[in-house]
Order: sequence, then structure tokens, then C-alpha cells
Amino acid sequence: MSDNPPGRQRPLDELLERTIRDIDIPPRPTIIDRICHEMRREQPDLQYVGQQISADVSLAAGLIKTANSPYFGCHSRCRSVREALLMLGLDATSRAIAAISLRQAFPGSAHYERFWQASAQIAALSGWLAQTVRKPALRADDAYTYGLFRDCGIVILLRRFPAYMQTLGRANRETERAFTDVEGEALPTNHSLVGCLMARNWWLPEEISLAIRNHHDRDAIDHFESGLPAASRYLVAVSQTAEHILQEVTGASHTEEWKKLGPSCRRLLGLDDAALANLYYDGAAVIKSNA
Amino acid sequence: MVKRKARPVKDVHVAALSLRPVNRPDRKHAANPVHDSRPDVDLISGFLNRGGGLRAATRAVAEADSTGGLLAVLWLDIDRFRQINESFGHAAGDRVIVRLAERLRLSLSSDCTLLRMGSDEFVALIPAVNLQDASGIGQRVLAEIERPLAIDELLMHPSASLGLAVHQSGEDALSLLERADRAMVEAKSRGGKCLVASGDEPVAGRHGVQLARDELAIEADLHRALESGCLALEYQPLVGFDGRVEAIEALIRCDLPEQRLMPGKFIPVAEKTGLIVRLGEWSLLQGALYAARLRDEGVPTKVAINVSRAQLTSASFSPALQAALICANLAPALIELEFTESLFLDLSETVQANLRSVRAAGVGIAIDDFGHGYSCLANLKDLPANKIKLDRSFIRVLPDDRRAYAVVKAMALLGRELGMTVVAEGVETAAQQAAVEQASVDAVQGYFHARPMTEETMLDWLRARA
Repeated sequence: MSDNPPGRQRPLDELLERTIRDIDIPPRPTIIDRICHEMRREQPDLQYVGQQISADVSLAAGLIKTANSPYFGCHSRCRSVREALLMLGLDATSRAIAAISLRQAFPGSAHYERFWQASAQIAALSGWLAQTVRKPALRADDAYTYGLFRDCGIVILLRRFPAYMQTLGRANRETERAFTDVEGEALPTNHSLVGCLMARNWWLPEEISLAIRNHHDRDAIDHFESGLPAASRYLVAVSQTAEHILQEVTGASHTEEWKKLGPSCRRLLGLDDAALANLYYDGAAVIKSNA
Repeated sequence: MVKRKARPVKDVHVAALSLRPVNRPDRKHAANPVHDSRPDVDLISGFLNRGGGLRAATRAVAEADSTGGLLAVLWLDIDRFRQINESFGHAAGDRVIVRLAERLRLSLSSDCTLLRMGSDEFVALIPAVNLQDASGIGQRVLAEIERPLAIDELLMHPSASLGLAVHQSGEDALSLLERADRAMVEAKSRGGKCLVASGDEPVAGRHGVQLARDELAIEADLHRALESGCLALEYQPLVGFDGRVEAIEALIRCDLPEQRLMPGKFIPVAEKTGLIVRLGEWSLLQGALYAARLRDEGVPTKVAINVSRAQLTSASFSPALQAALICANLAPALIELEFTESLFLDLSETVQANLRSVRAAGVGIAIDDFGHGYSCLANLKDLPANKIKLDRSFIRVLPDDRRAYAVVKAMALLGRELGMTVVAEGVETAAQQAAVEQASVDAVQGYFHARPMTEETMLDWLRARA
């Protein structure tokens, strides 16, 4: 850690200290706290929540757009925040707002433009895949949100440790050991754990947080008795498959994860070669529509 | 982890059924579900259903009583079956039942009668065996059930909880079944995957059932709290005699819309269910984020966070601690972890590795509640702690109890000689404050100085003292 104990900061360090202070995890958007507060009430005040969301024009527009995306299950088209709230309910609204706010929550996120673009594609593909493979306890809106949050720990670690970029490169090229094991050689933690803590801090459902925490753990995907909820295992599998489709179709987002986790994901989702080939074909259209 | 299903009180449940004796059903028919349309037979497992089963049990008990023969009852409950149903749907659940029912049938001799008593509960009536033989049969059943099971693309490793009761002369069928059921519930409460014979379990009357229900309700409340922002940390300062704030201890609060759950109630349930790890990790991150905020507000203060045994025995403890520090962008010196003494004495490799890594990271370590239970002063020299918190039981009786005073004074002296900060917990009066000061304790914590405070109040309190 580059921080100093209280009372021992030297003047020379102060500038650096101030800079580093700006690099902790993004705080949870206050609107999520307000929604949680309303959810706890016996009769939530949707009008109040709607007003709070509408006060932020980009958030309001983002919510309507998200509600109308195929993954959030609105059957008719929403035209206002009020309609989106009524269609989604507070629970899904909270997750949608987390998804909308994630990228903006990281200052200077333009540095990571390609990362965010890949995350957005993986999220969209994950939502679509969840609807396509249809597994119990697997929700498309969760798959979409999970796809966005899955690797947010990478951005946190990159901002905190510049040398993490080299670790990331090594982990991406590793064909045998788990991605997080490679990270563990250079860092006292890994991006899965950091991302899990961030997701919990934003009050995302535990199934999503646990999927983030275990998304490089083959045993957790393979074994029912690993204790990982079925929904989390499916989330890991659809998103890993989504990443693989993105790689196959666009050549982007290169990792060796499919070699290590692909067979487990295919087994869990019941994908044979023909089914996977169909997914490449149909997935290309999803990628194009989200480009 | 105790995960009991919400069940009706069993004696009422069973007694409500009619017990009209009928002829003993033909096992060959009972094991073949496909063509069997008799009302006594469960179509999924092929076993007798509850009604038919109770009649068969009544008949078997009557036979045993009249002939002086032996009769044992095995009550089997599949572990985590609700999770299977909820996760994979009832169709998959039914397939699991079919396969496990088949395994149960194959592991028993053909003179046993098999019943399906509930969605995931089976009973075997085993004639002509004593307790010892029946235990052996039960262990064989357990082993058979635990073989890996492939359902669709999933490879499951099922397990079961088994209760065993042997018929006592004059005992009716309901009482016999009830004893086997109670033994099964005890097996479940021991974590499942085991067999308990009736008589080995503690007497679980209605009080026990009510307690189990209360715990289930608290567990549900905790899940709700963890996902809807009902948790918060409050902070209580540890103040030195020079007025310096030594640290602030984070105390978890659970405020549901309808009530505040008291830590004394929810912490034990969290420990039993494993939720304590999640609560602990949540506390670590929130405490670290608050310490970072205090630093940024110009009142840098060490935040002390309690760590449970379940956390420290987990291999992910150290990475989770580091993740929290990284997320908060916090110097390790601004965090202190509080462990009870017994945790230091756990010699397992995971615990020792976690303690080493905490120390190597530069995070402070405090021994909480020192003197509570079986503490050993000689251990102090080996413990990697930099702070001892003397248990409130010593402080509560001060200043009148001179023997307690002598112990406090000796521990303060010893702690100081070992380079540790010594803190008195639970100081509530000026007289107690004076006594611990005289005993050369370094700092105090308790209502005399401050009650636990919310984040905002704590910040104001610290600013006022800065």
C-alpha cells in the first residue's frame, strides 16, 4: 500500500497522497440507496423514486433504454421513467441503474474504452444467451448486469497498480492455471474478489456477486456441491460462452479462458458442436446490433 | 450448516392421518411405478405413499408386538433437495427422487417395506434387525445415496440425513415413526450426511421446534438485510488516558423495516448458517471505506473490525482482506482486526497462514475479550497481537472486587512488558474508569466515554476532539 499511517505523512508525499485518494472503488450511486429505502417500505413510493431518477436526465434516458432492451423483459415499449419503473419493479430498476451507472462511476474511464466496449458486448450477448439457452434460475436481466460487472475488478486494480497491466497480459495468455492464480503471484488478491466486493457494496444480488467471485473457478462451475448457487454457475457459463462468441466473431477480447472453462460451460449449458455453431451465427447479429 | 425446512410440528402432522389397517402391500408392485395406479402408491418413487405407508407401519408394528419380533425404522431425508428443486425445477427434482429411490431399494433386502413420506423423505421398515444391525444397514444406505449422480448435464453428489429407531414393546406406529423422524432432524442439524439413532439426539420438544423456526426466520431476515441495504456499522471509540482516540470499533447493526435485529440474536444464527463469512467480509469493506473517509476528512483513525472463526479458517480470508484494503485504497495501519484468544490457538495451517499474512500486511491485531473463558497468560508471549482487550467481566466488578483488580493490574503490566496496548472493555462508570487507570491500563472502551455511534455522529465526535 502506498498510504501512510496517521500523523506520519511527509509533505513530499502529500500531492501523491491526494492523487491516490481518488482511486478507491466508485461509491454506490445514492439513487440505489433511495430505491433500497423505498423497497423496505410497506408501500414504496414509486412517484418519489421516479422523480429522483428523472432529476438526472442521462440516468432517466438510460433507464428507459435499458427497460426497452430485450433483456429486461418489458413486453411493451416504455416511454417514460414512470412506465419503466412500473414495468421493471424496484428490484430490477435498482440493477438497471447499477448497470447504467457503472461506467460513469469510474473517473477517467475513457482510458479503458476498449475494455468497456467489450464488457458491453459481453453483457448484451450474455442477456441474449440466457434467453436462448433457457435454464432454471437464470434471468436475462441478471446475465446482462453480470456481464457488465464481471470484470470491473480489473479496472479497479489497473487504476491502483499500474504494473497490473503486465500481470493481466500473463493471465490472459495462461493456458493451464486459473487466471486468478496468475494474478495471485503478483498481487495479494485478484480481480474476482475485488469485483465481488464492489458488487456487494452496490447491493447487487448475491447470485451475481458470487458469480463474479468464482468466474475463473472451474471446480465451482463443474460441481454442484461447490456450494455456488445454480444461478451463479449459469451466469458464469453464459458469460464465458458470450466472451467466446465475441472472440470467434470479432477476434476481440483475447484470453485463453475458453480452453480452460469452455468444456465445463458447454456441459452446464448443454451445448454440443452444432448448437455452438448456431450460437456463433446468431450471436454475430447480436454483436452487430450492439456495435 | 443447519438448513431445516419449515415443517409442521410432526406429532400433529402425523396424527392427523387416518390409520386404517390394511393388508401389507406387495413389494414387487410397490417398486414398479409405471403401471401402478393404486391410491396407496407414490407414482414417482414407486414406494407406498404416506397414507399407505402409515397403514403398513401400523401393520408391521402389530406383527412385531404379537410375535415378539424386531422392527427398525430408518427415516431418510435428502440433503439440499429444496435447492435442487428451486434451482433446476421440479422435473429434475423428480428424476433425482426416482434415482435415489432406486438406490435405496437396491441397498435394502427385499423384506423391507419402503414409504415415501414427503417430497424428499423416505422411510424403510426393516424387520428382524436390532439397533446394531440396523445402524450397519443405515450406513450402507448412506454410502449408496452418496455415489455421484448424473442428471442431465449435471453431476450431483447427493447426500442424506438418516434417523433410526428400533421398535420398543408396546410402542405404537406413530410414536416409532416420530422417534425416527426426530433422530433424522438431529442428523440434519449436525450438517447432514450422517445417521443418528433415536436416543442419541437431545430431547426436541415443542420448545426446540420453536427455536428452529425462530432461527429460520432470522436467517431469512439476514438474507433480506444483506441484499436490501438494511445493514450498517456503528462505531464505539477506544480512548486512551491521554485523551487520544486509540481506535474505533465497528459494530454491526441490522435494522429491518419492522424491527432492529439484535446482534446477540443474529450473530449466532449467522455463525450456524455460514452467513457470518459474508457479514464479516461486508464489515471489512465498510470499515475500510469508513477509515478511508475519516482519513480524507482530516481525522485519520484506526478502525477495529471483528473477525469470526469461520472467516479465519477460510483460505479466502487474506485475499478478501487485501481486496477490501485495495477497494478502500487504505493503508493497512488504519485497520485493526479483533480475534478472540481461542482463534490464535487454532494450529491449522489455514489459520496460521492467515494470521501470518495479516501480520505481514501490517494490519493491527487485537485479542478480544481476553480473560473470558480459558485464557492462558503464558500464551500471550507467542501471540502475534499488538493489543489486548480485557474482558468486561473483570471490569464490571471494579472497583470493589480487589481480586479482579489484581488480575487487571497484572495483565496490564504483562501486556505492557510484551509491548502491547492494554484496553479495558465495558467501562461504564467513573469509579471503573479510575480503577483501570490506577491499574495502568492504556485505554478504555465503554458507555462511560461513548455509546456506539452512526458514521455521521462518529465523524462529528472525532472532529470535535481533533
